[in-house]
Amino acid sequence: MRAEEVLAALRETLGERLRNPEVRAETVGYRRPRERACLWAEIDREDLLEAVRALKELAPLHISIISGADVGDRIELIYHFGVGYGTETGEVMVNLRLTVPKDNPVVPSLCGVLPGAQTTEREKIEFLGVEFEGIPDARKLFLPDDLPVHPWRKDEPELAGYVRRTVAWEEKGDEGKGEA
Amino acid sequence: MREKVKPEEKAEANELAPACPAWFEVPIGPIHPALKEGIRFTFWIEGERIRKVDIRPGFMHRGIEFMGTKRNLIQVLYLAERICGICSISHPLAIVQAVEQAAGIEVPPRAQYIRVIIGELERIHSHLLWAGVAAHELGFDTLLHYVWKVREPVLDLLEDLTGNRINYAIPIYGGVRRDVPPEKYPVLKNALRYYRSLVDDFVNFFLRDPSIEARTRGVGTLTREEADALCAVGPTARASGLRKDVRQDWPYFAYPDLGVRAITPEDMGLEVRGDVYDRIVVRLLEVVQSIEIIERCLEEMPDGEITAFPKVAALLAHLKKAEGEGIGRHEAPRGEVIHYIRLQADEEAPVVWKVKAPTYSNLMPWYPMFRDQEIADIPIVAASIDPCICCMERVQIVRGGKEETLWKEQLLELSWAKTRRIVRGLNPARAARHASRGGADERR
Repeated sequence: MRAEEVLAALRETLGERLRNPEVRAETVGYRRPRERACLWAEIDREDLLEAVRALKELAPLHISIISGADVGDRIELIYHFGVGYGTETGEVMVNLRLTVPKDNPVVPSLCGVLPGAQTTEREKIEFLGVEFEGIPDARKLFLPDDLPVHPWRKDEPELAGYVRRTVAWEEKGDEGKGEA
Repeated sequence: MREKVKPEEKAEANELAPACPAWFEVPIGPIHPALKEGIRFTFWIEGERIRKVDIRPGFMHRGIEFMGTKRNLIQVLYLAERICGICSISHPLAIVQAVEQAAGIEVPPRAQYIRVIIGELERIHSHLLWAGVAAHELGFDTLLHYVWKVREPVLDLLEDLTGNRINYAIPIYGGVRRDVPPEKYPVLKNALRYYRSLVDDFVNFFLRDPSIEARTRGVGTLTREEADALCAVGPTARASGLRKDVRQDWPYFAYPDLGVRAITPEDMGLEVRGDVYDRIVVRLLEVVQSIEIIERCLEEMPDGEITAFPKVAALLAHLKKAEGEGIGRHEAPRGEVIHYIRLQADEEAPVVWKVKAPTYSNLMPWYPMFRDQEIADIPIVAASIDPCICCMERVQIVRGGKEETLWKEQLLELSWAKTRRIVRGLNPARAARHASRGGADERR
């Protein structure tokens, strides 16, 4: 699988709704140099399922992880997929970026298309407060059931205090000293 | 120490179990504090068979990603090394790739070969460690002690090369911190010869032993379709017949030169069944593969620099100016490790850092593996994905409001007793004697 093929398939499915697609190629190896590629693109949450279905039709699909960040008044999620595993240098890392507003952080769940996404979606629920529509199991995964905060949110008023209480030894540095 | 369950949680847990009065709820776990990962399994049992399982990790979550975003990148590297105690080089190897991609750092070829050598030595020690644990879970403590004895030389070798038995602190952004000088090659080659000479023994002990076969064939099966849909990684995926290996699919370091191919049981001429036995096959073959990779590295490794930044201060200054994002992936002994990192100019700490360890991906495949297995097979099925947990300290059985506790020893005893039953069953003379006495069929 080549990054251009993946890009073409995504373009065909989403058209103009696939924004800023960028193929970042690297050469790896010394005696037998190979090209290896990452595809980065932005999409809207409404198009996520369609995009993932297109990827799944194209080649064996693996979800590595969803990474996320609090970027001001929105939450950013990056879906890192491996498309086309099974052959030498045959995998393309497809990184689909989408943002959701904090007052309505709902994203469709991938579990119907790719059940293996459940672990990482459950992690995003507790760490970022994102909701996944249609996830079969939305309970806490890694964090205590009674934890009141989403640790990766930067606007959590209780977070700094919570961190200070639970990991008092962290106070040694200047981080978090005068906060909360 | 009994597990306290709040009434509302209890209610939630019970909702998971479809109403069937014949099912018993058997929680296992959550933790043994000496192990780096704690986990709680809740099984719903009908007779001896597991009908449903619920898995709750999170007892050992340390918030390392959160801590990482408060530290400079060099500190983050050492923090990453401490994510996993067994495959302690896997996370540094992934994060250096991510940062090198984000900051545009070129790595000298020799450093890439050294990274491969240390990574593969780690695979040998990790797979041997797993083989010992698996033998113990089946009741073969002789084999456990044998395997762990022969694992010592690779740890000694790692200590000789890096200074540490574990947490080698070898990779750094832009290269490695220590060379493997040519005078060490004989030591390395000796160790590789030693492990090569042991391969036949391992095949005999693990793959030709009728009682191991009886305990692992058809146990904890994960079909190819399930492995694909649930995104299993590492030997767990390969034992189910998926040729999925980051070293092959998305090569990095010197791996493209070495031509690594993903190993499945087919490479030993076996039909893929995706059970625990197949996972043993794959791991044993991977030990051989690692030996071959290191041998090739020693032959092909070029001379030259081992790092792009001999001075750490220059490296830190470069990283502070760097802006961008990158992903780094490594095929750890247990499967794919991926790190995503985002750097911002004038920020010493990464803005975003996401880590994924292999057991994370192999959590979902556990569900089909446990389905319809026996209670006595829980330890080996749980261990078969090589999780970083062996924390079955106790089992609590709640029956009609009364609680009984099964300790780890009793659970292991159940497992060993099953092995003994099978061994007796495999011995035709004993079986015949047994039958002539008209005794109950102990094999069930």
